[in-house]
Amino acid sequence: MNPQKSWSSLIWLVSTFCLLAFTSLSAATLKVGLVTDVGRVNDRSFNQSAWEGVQEAKKQLGLNDRHVKYIETQDAKDYADNLAQFIDAEYNVIVTVGFALGDATVKAAKENPDTLFIGVDQFQGEAIPNLAGLIFHEDQSGFLAGVLAAGMSKSGTIAAVLGTDLIPPVVAFNEGYISGAKSVNPKIKVLSTYHPGELSQAFVDPEWGAATAKQAIDQGADVIFGAGGLTGNGALQEVATQSGVYCIGVDSDQWNTVPAARPCLISSAMKLITPAVADLISKAQSGSFKGGNVFGAAGLAPFHDFENDIPKPLKDLLVATKAGLDSGIIKTGYGN
Amino acid sequence: MSFWSRTARVAVSLVVLMLLMAILVELTPLGENKWMRVFFGVSALNFTLRAAIPLVLGALSGILCERSGIINIGIEGMMLAGAFAGFVAKSSTNDWPLYLSLVFSVIVSLGVGGLMGLLHGMLSIRFRMDQIISGSVIIILAAGLTSYLFDRDAIADGKFTPIPIPLLSEIPVIGPVLFNNPPITYLALLLVLVVHIAIFYTRWGLRTRAVGEHPRAADTEGINVNLMRYLNTMLGGMLAGLAGAYLVLEAVGQFQEGMTAGRGFISLAAMIFGNWTPFGALGAATLFGYTQALQNEFLLAGVTTIPRQFVSMLPYVVTIIAVSGLVGRVRAPAAIGRPYDTEGGR
Amino acid sequence: MFRVLLIPVLALVTSLALGALVMLLFGDDPILAYQGLFQGAFGSGRAWSSTIRKMIPLILTGLSVAVAFKAGLFNIGASGQFVMGSVFSVAVGIHFEGLPMYIHLPMAILAGMLGGMIWGAIPGFLKVTTGAHEVIVTIMLNYVAALFGGWTVYAGGTQGQTPGPLWDPTARAISETPDVLHSAQIPWIFGPPYRVHFGVFLALLAVLIIWWLIYKTTVGFEIRTVGQNPKAARYAGIRVEKTVVLTMAIAGGLAGLAGTIETLGLNHKFAPEFGGQVGFDGITVALLGQTHPVGVVFASFLFGALDAGAAKMQFESGVAADIIQVIQALVLAFVAAPLIIKALFRLRSTQDDRHSASLNTSWGGS
Repeated sequence: MNPQKSWSSLIWLVSTFCLLAFTSLSAATLKVGLVTDVGRVNDRSFNQSAWEGVQEAKKQLGLNDRHVKYIETQDAKDYADNLAQFIDAEYNVIVTVGFALGDATVKAAKENPDTLFIGVDQFQGEAIPNLAGLIFHEDQSGFLAGVLAAGMSKSGTIAAVLGTDLIPPVVAFNEGYISGAKSVNPKIKVLSTYHPGELSQAFVDPEWGAATAKQAIDQGADVIFGAGGLTGNGALQEVATQSGVYCIGVDSDQWNTVPAARPCLISSAMKLITPAVADLISKAQSGSFKGGNVFGAAGLAPFHDFENDIPKPLKDLLVATKAGLDSGIIKTGYGN
Repeated sequence: MSFWSRTARVAVSLVVLMLLMAILVELTPLGENKWMRVFFGVSALNFTLRAAIPLVLGALSGILCERSGIINIGIEGMMLAGAFAGFVAKSSTNDWPLYLSLVFSVIVSLGVGGLMGLLHGMLSIRFRMDQIISGSVIIILAAGLTSYLFDRDAIADGKFTPIPIPLLSEIPVIGPVLFNNPPITYLALLLVLVVHIAIFYTRWGLRTRAVGEHPRAADTEGINVNLMRYLNTMLGGMLAGLAGAYLVLEAVGQFQEGMTAGRGFISLAAMIFGNWTPFGALGAATLFGYTQALQNEFLLAGVTTIPRQFVSMLPYVVTIIAVSGLVGRVRAPAAIGRPYDTEGGR
Repeated sequence: MFRVLLIPVLALVTSLALGALVMLLFGDDPILAYQGLFQGAFGSGRAWSSTIRKMIPLILTGLSVAVAFKAGLFNIGASGQFVMGSVFSVAVGIHFEGLPMYIHLPMAILAGMLGGMIWGAIPGFLKVTTGAHEVIVTIMLNYVAALFGGWTVYAGGTQGQTPGPLWDPTARAISETPDVLHSAQIPWIFGPPYRVHFGVFLALLAVLIIWWLIYKTTVGFEIRTVGQNPKAARYAGIRVEKTVVLTMAIAGGLAGLAGTIETLGLNHKFAPEFGGQVGFDGITVALLGQTHPVGVVFASFLFGALDAGAAKMQFESGVAADIIQVIQALVLAFVAAPLIIKALFRLRSTQDDRHSASLNTSWGGS
């Protein structure tokens, strides 16, 4: 161990000097850090969307590459330590991704009032001035997906293959989906199921997603809503290999994130994390950052190749529904 | 022994019973009963088969290794490495004709699985590492390396789709369940028979079992003990690699870190449960797959208000009950886990 | 003595070198990475605190697996026993308001150990009564424990399912328990931000007790005899069945204690995501420590340091933490097969290299 040790500490010393030199040169610019939920920054799911938001902000604001970093959490017990890495390095804006980091983020925000925090999917019970909880009306997005699914179904059976009911946003998507479908066809049968495993498995089990989608198809479903990270993506990819069945994606426009699903993908129930994160970081730069809950955009993605397959009355209904949801005339029945 | 061992008979009767019930449910008024549909619908059987295939392949992998006296707890790692290799091969040959690219990827999976098997053999035979440690090394190494090397922007374009077998796939119920499947599924079912015959009815199988039961006697008979063990661990690795290929190239169409999700361990359980026989393993894997299917059927049908965690325990609890009640004591190959030295040699 | 340390040190150096090679091959900077790793593990007070904190549960789950190995049993179930320990200790920790700490804390710890013991004893009991293989049963019980733990904090479903008994209603839909009462929390040694807690002494005490139990008592002798040769043990009048159940209960209790300490000392509540990966790491640690209690401590320290440094490594160099796992696998391989290291560094072989302790006597179900 010994030679290793002195060698390392020498390099450590040198690099500290370098680091000091750099920081003093560019002390004025914003430093942005991101901590993922247990998962990767390129997971084709919400971690990736948030990281893309940070990247977008970096481009817009011309931030230094060296000042935009992420840490991928390996273990849920490490949230606080990973946040501390950024706080110790005096980062100005720290983005934490996912519901599960809520507690750790609130705690860090209270202890470090000069640092700005953006908590994706974190509902704020009480507003803290330096913490913005970025949340979405997933139920509305899901409601629109339900209207679309019920409108496109010929068999009268539709399905949803979902991540987990341990996370409220996923439940919101599902509840919205069901009431949306029922608003079009009160007698529609909705087969919806959550991943049966624990949280660590729920979003990363595409095999289960695929097998469950097939199971729903076997039971007569002809539109499948895949909502739950990679698990949902597995469902979409399975539906794509079956003829006569449509699928609906989730979170971002999955036409782009899961090309393999294109043969069946009529739309996606979106919650746009990327632009919302970028926008909040810009606000941090310009000084107009406000704490509390911030709602990001949610809604349906374009129909892409299925533009012509979706009947005009259904499109009109979707537009009207969207307007009704926005104005609050239509209720999704979730929450409150 | 007779062609059908006791475990094999139990396993085959189980499968036949399930198919019979499914036919009744589909073709008679029995199907109007919600519970009968939940238990014996075609969707449940399809799900069962899908869930069972990687477990069967994993268990076969274990059987080959352990019949020759090498414990293989590393199935999980070999599977993962095979899955990853298949994914890399597939995503870098996306512009080839689909089937060519898929078949090529399966071959790569087999190759890398075989290499993992060889590594297991090297560590436990050449370097005399404890075989449980060697298996653990393979699991951790595969998990670490595949995650580290995984290019998450890569996309595997397309996966195996079902190939209906003419005529047979027209049979009601049995057709759509058994004869309208993608190729690796057929291959896996075929392999159960092949491995069964190979182990119990060929010279190679005789030697393998001799090496696993009485290496000293086998050596005296002129069998090269360690060569047989190398060969079997490599073949076993290839089967585990095929299980990985199944996950990536047939079941999902995408790789992601840790995607084997414990299937290697459950295969291990299926192997022991099936008393180190291929048909026994098939029965165990089917039972496990079926309980998983049931769990999903319950959730999909919304027929119960029991918290879903208890429904989800079903596969695991049933397995525990089955190993304690039905199987009783199983017997591993006698010389398992012990390195073999030729007389006087190193 | 020198030779005892030589192999592990050479194994570590070789593993780090190979890890560096992998990083170089795939375009990462190993120097930057290792420097971050080192800083993250030992570079500051917080780094040390984090290393020690991560070492604590590893010691106990490692001991759990090691004790079972002593009796020739393979306990893959430390993960589930860990979860049960967490759940049981939380169940006591969130109730009984007003109890003084010197009663409440030991009560919670004992409850957690009891949870782990029950979960460990089940496979032992099934093995001796029905012949069910402990490898199968422990694997299955891991899943059952995780689901059971999930249920205790389940917020309730939309089809009329009732919430779990430990769920914290003020957390709304979040699946977690309320915080453990102060009287049942294991205090932190230095206070925030250093999250290292007094559980470390409990863990070391457990090491001492287990060492004494295994090597200095009749029970330990019986355990070891059963592990080496169950037939001879039976012939010598040892009640093999009793020993198997007892060993599994002890192993379960240790893993349960790991969950307990982690819960009462660090998380202060239970949530499904505080699950049992550390139980699987326990297998590695036990093997790396060659199933000796003291070896387990060293192995845990190494793994704790590697895990603690991972985040800093990624922060400094952008290298994903997965490389740590690769290094851990290599260290295990080289320590377990000294022949490789000896061949690599041209050291002389000794006779005992060829007789590495056999762990797998029970594989065939006794």
